Amino acid sequence: MSRPTASRPARGRLTARLHRLQRQPLLTIGLVMATIMVATGLLAPWLAPFPADAISATHPSAALLPPSSEHWFGTDGIGRDILSRVLYGSRISLAIALFVVTVAGVVGLTVGLVAGYVGGKADALLMRVTDVFLAFPALLLAVALAAVLTPSASHAAVAISVTWWPWYARLARAQAASIRTQGYADAARVIGAGWVRQLARHVLPNAATSVFVQMSLDAAGIILTAATLSYLGLGAQDPSPEWGLMVSQGQGMATTAWWVVTFPGLAILLLAAAFNFIGDGLQTVLDPKRGHR
Amino acid sequence: MSALLSVEGLRIAYGQTPVVHGVDLDVPVGPYGVGLIGESGSGKTTIARTLVRLHRASAGSVTFDGRDVLALRGRDLARYRREVQIVFQDGDGALDPRMPVLAQVVEPLAVHRSVPRSARQERAASLLAEVGLPEEVMTHYRHQLSGGQRQRVLIARALALEPRLLILDEPTSALDVTVQDRVLALVERLREQRGLAYLLISHNLAVVDRLCETSVVLYGGVVMERGPTARVLTSPRHPYTRALRAAVPELGVQRIPLTRVSSGAPERARAASACAYVDRCPLAVARCRTEAPVLRPYDGREVACHRAEEADNLAVDGLATG
Repeated sequence: MSRPTASRPARGRLTARLHRLQRQPLLTIGLVMATIMVATGLLAPWLAPFPADAISATHPSAALLPPSSEHWFGTDGIGRDILSRVLYGSRISLAIALFVVTVAGVVGLTVGLVAGYVGGKADALLMRVTDVFLAFPALLLAVALAAVLTPSASHAAVAISVTWWPWYARLARAQAASIRTQGYADAARVIGAGWVRQLARHVLPNAATSVFVQMSLDAAGIILTAATLSYLGLGAQDPSPEWGLMVSQGQGMATTAWWVVTFPGLAILLLAAAFNFIGDGLQTVLDPKRGHR
Repeated sequence: MSALLSVEGLRIAYGQTPVVHGVDLDVPVGPYGVGLIGESGSGKTTIARTLVRLHRASAGSVTFDGRDVLALRGRDLARYRREVQIVFQDGDGALDPRMPVLAQVVEPLAVHRSVPRSARQERAASLLAEVGLPEEVMTHYRHQLSGGQRQRVLIARALALEPRLLILDEPTSALDVTVQDRVLALVERLREQRGLAYLLISHNLAVVDRLCETSVVLYGGVVMERGPTARVLTSPRHPYTRALRAAVPELGVQRIPLTRVSSGAPERARAASACAYVDRCPLAVARCRTEAPVLRPYDGREVACHRAEEADNLAVDGLATG
């Protein structure tokens, strides 16, 4: 391993990490793409040429206009500016991804770390519960849940969270089970550290990397799932500018007005790709064994 | 000589496989060193882990300062953990890769609240200084440390609770000779300054010879020989200790062939009543297979061998050819 000499003069950890970013072009590209999309989502009210179109304004006379200098992405079936809607739409997709990753992450990490590290009966009980959730295909469970609840973007997020946490629980459990046999786990027990301290100070920091990486990779899948649910009519409802819903609405006219499906579809693709790049890059950068941290 | 730690008839198993078959061991109040000698697989580390309650014993007793260690729970166990600390063999694994050095030395102080919160960092820093680590190491992570530095951090962490007994599990086996010497000198110094008692586990006879008054030689989970280090290591009486002693290469002495301790794990097929060393012993006779020898006093130490007396005459030839 080419490791820099142990006591390189104190260079800020941030600087060191930024330096390492340069060697991760995909991570950088992903970060830039995601940052731009987050920024445009946040600044949508100022960036969007026709903010009112994002929700409910209708202009039947301007329906299905192709892309032009006035409407860069064209207009949809009831004359709303698609660029404005796509800009606003990123807020919805990002919020859903953030919500699912947070909720599923917290639940999954807690369940998985306790199961894997404490072991024994706690492990058996928690993992059986996890298995029950895993037994249903995720999308099917989400569809069922979304159907029971009234369809909306927030209920879709809840439904996806319910199907998503078992994967984090499994991943965290595997990590915790291996940490359990590490010397530093013994070292913590020997000084008399309690379960909570062992889990919070030693297991979580060492197990979290792979879960965080998985979360950033999953953000893409969550965005796609949310779009799928909306597309199926089980997520966001008209007039929401949710991308999946927009694709669904434009589908019937894809041959005559290609721009209605294409631009929200591209937005989904770009955001999903951005998170995939980030996840892949993080995997490399966060590995403590790779060089200087 | 009153014992601080007293182990009697200790038996330990991994699942169904017994690995320690009734070991007796005393560590007196410090400053005092007891060496536990044995090769890989002899059960040394298993004994150490059991003494710090990381592994269960299947039989026997461990008494520390009058308390039954194997039965300790809750508050009493916490107190025991404070009084008995261990320095693990694997300095790399025993340090958390994601926690800076200083925080790892602060941790025991925080767990036991033995030092007020505001003084913990300072206390940990002075411990690191005491074991001879430069200040910049405090903010370093595990992978930035050398082997010797890691071992010192572990020692500082173990000392943080001011234990009365320190268990050192192969503290130097991963280190090169000069670094090893510095760590050993540190143990010597701590022993005098803090009146420390320790159980030093090692396969290195020279290390035990330097630091321990008493030596216990373990083979296959059974004590072969024990007594004052000066007697056990300079004039070993058990064939196994003899072989270990003879296997230490001496500088400037070209010995061909180098006496070897015949290798291979003890055979499982051996009868339970046989001597643990019988399969490798050059002096084994029929009796050794049917009747396990017990420790008995001989020549100023205790030996578990039927043929200790005869070995004086037979051993040289018997062992030199391996």
